Amino acid sequence: MSGLSVITLVAWRDMRERLRSKAFLASTLLILALVGGSAVLGRLADRQTTYRVAVTAPAPPGLADALQRAAQPFDDAEVQLRVVPSLAAGRQALEAEQVDALLLLSDDRLVFRSNVDAEAAAVADAAVRALRRQLPPAPELTTATLHAPEQESTDAAVLVAYAGSLLLLMSLAFYGQWVISGVVEEKNNRVVELILSSVRPRDLLAGKVIGIGLLGFAQLALIAGLAAGMLAAGVFDAPAELAGDMALVIPWFVLGFALYAVAYAAAGALASSQQNAETAGQPVTYTLLGVYFAGYVALSADAEGPLASLLTVFPLSAPLVLPARSALVGVPLWEHALAFVLVLSSIYALVRFAGRIYGQGLLRSGAGLGLRAAWHLTRSDGAGTHPTIT
Amino acid sequence: MLAVNAIRKRFGQVQALDGCSVSVGRGRMLGFLGPNGAGKTTVMRSIFGLVELDSGEVLWDGRPVDLAERLRFGYMPEERGLYPRMRVGEQLEYFGRLHGLGASEARSAASLWLERLGLAERAASKVEELSHGNQQRAQLAAALVHEPELLVLDEPFAGLDPVAVQTLADVLRGEAARGAAVLFSSHQLELVENICEEVAIIDHGRLLATGDVDALKRASRRRRIELQLDGAPLEWLPRVPGVELAERRDGRLRLEVGRDVDPELVLAAAEKSAHVVAFSYGPPTLAELFLELVAA
Repeated sequence: MSGLSVITLVAWRDMRERLRSKAFLASTLLILALVGGSAVLGRLADRQTTYRVAVTAPAPPGLADALQRAAQPFDDAEVQLRVVPSLAAGRQALEAEQVDALLLLSDDRLVFRSNVDAEAAAVADAAVRALRRQLPPAPELTTATLHAPEQESTDAAVLVAYAGSLLLLMSLAFYGQWVISGVVEEKNNRVVELILSSVRPRDLLAGKVIGIGLLGFAQLALIAGLAAGMLAAGVFDAPAELAGDMALVIPWFVLGFALYAVAYAAAGALASSQQNAETAGQPVTYTLLGVYFAGYVALSADAEGPLASLLTVFPLSAPLVLPARSALVGVPLWEHALAFVLVLSSIYALVRFAGRIYGQGLLRSGAGLGLRAAWHLTRSDGAGTHPTIT
Repeated sequence: MLAVNAIRKRFGQVQALDGCSVSVGRGRMLGFLGPNGAGKTTVMRSIFGLVELDSGEVLWDGRPVDLAERLRFGYMPEERGLYPRMRVGEQLEYFGRLHGLGASEARSAASLWLERLGLAERAASKVEELSHGNQQRAQLAAALVHEPELLVLDEPFAGLDPVAVQTLADVLRGEAARGAAVLFSSHQLELVENICEEVAIIDHGRLLATGDVDALKRASRRRRIELQLDGAPLEWLPRVPGVELAERRDGRLRLEVGRDVDPELVLAAAEKSAHVVAFSYGPPTLAELFLELVAA
């Protein structure tokens, strides 16, 4: 019986049993409902888009109606028309953010504060055409701004990278609890003696992490699928280049998920029972939060500084920091490679460590181990005096 | 053949195993006896690598036992436990597969054992939905599903009703007849005496005696005499040196005598005082032998 087939068996059992549990189905449906519901709510809120347009007196009759009609194709947007006595009053209202655009019919111009809103411009343009009974293509209105355009602050890549880190953080904290309770399951129902009479502890542990991890991943993918579906259906607005930016985020998400799932498994291996499992995950959660905020601070302060570089390759922080830093300033290929190798080695080492303390904890009458004792056990491994558990 | 050789294990201040040795051959059934805390469970756990031994070895067919061998062993641990929310049939199948059976092989073995143990109708039930007795049966099936070459059972008869005891005894006999080496611990000495040819008795982590049950009993320095008298004085005892009263009830007497005491003398003394309805002489029972050994 090879280790791999044991791991597959264990992983498959864990997935199947969880899939059948009502708690899992309920939580999946709940999350899907939350995601779908929030999108629909967002769309409802979106409908109330209002364009506030000022026009210098005297306003031509029918302008307000024409604007409203022109706005209809844009998700039923509303247009509030305000008539100002003079150009100066109009500018003042624009500066004071009382209106979004100023329509100067005398010189066919539409003035914005600093950035041109293409939709508002199209609405105004269509309305003015309708009033003057002129047909396209000749553009009726030219657009202008009071100030130079502001720097675009929502670079899609950076947004995706930061959002990816945050999503990873939250998913890990959530699914980490699954992993821990899964790992203490055998201890709680005492089936562990029977299992370990024929299965290596690390194979059992690896199988559980893979089974629970894949299921957690499937749940996430389902949610992502729903979000993607709604994106395609036009429920959300998203920058078009989003897909390209996901290319780096997804593999690091997977690696980070694997690394921390194993770390949570090790924490579960140290725990003795379900009550203990609640607190057992805390060191991992604190580490996770710690490296997340360290990464955030380091990237904000100096994305090319030594701390940011260190956190890019340090295995515990790499999955959270590398994609974000790569989007901000770029990361050299060798750092990608180094981080990748370090994370993979850490996963392997953690599986071994967790398997060992899991087995050892049981051999000591089933009680949990302190970290110190666990460390001592792993250190004494080299002596080769313990032939029974490998 | 399983050979546990001079194993030692210390837990803190307690020397749990102190050079203990036990062996059982294929096709044999060994009753593993000892008072509470003697080290029986630790010996059995050590066979499955669940105890790190300080010294000594566990051999199967002369080779140190490792994971590959253990796949051909079946175990019913002291800590009973199955996955409570998993269906019985699928659970047995799972354990079969963990021991190296193929998918269809495991499925048919699982249903075979469910059938044999009278659980066939409960195959789709979750373990937690079963009665205590049926959970015990499922636990037994989990140890048997892969047709083990060595079967190790920790107190398998504890808490069973007489019908279940009979079923289990039949199953264990069947396993030995199939060629498996069977080792089980028990405190029900009468039962062990009935179904085992061999026993091993340990105490304080050391082997006190092992071998053929009848030979061990005959080797005892004590014998038992049972007498039923009619019309004997209330406090009557034979005046024969080396005779001790073990029990007296309703005119029945149970006497413990040394091996060198001539039973004819006891019988003659009894006949002088009363009418002898029944008289028997023989080696001690397993329970008496056990007490004799453990008290020594």
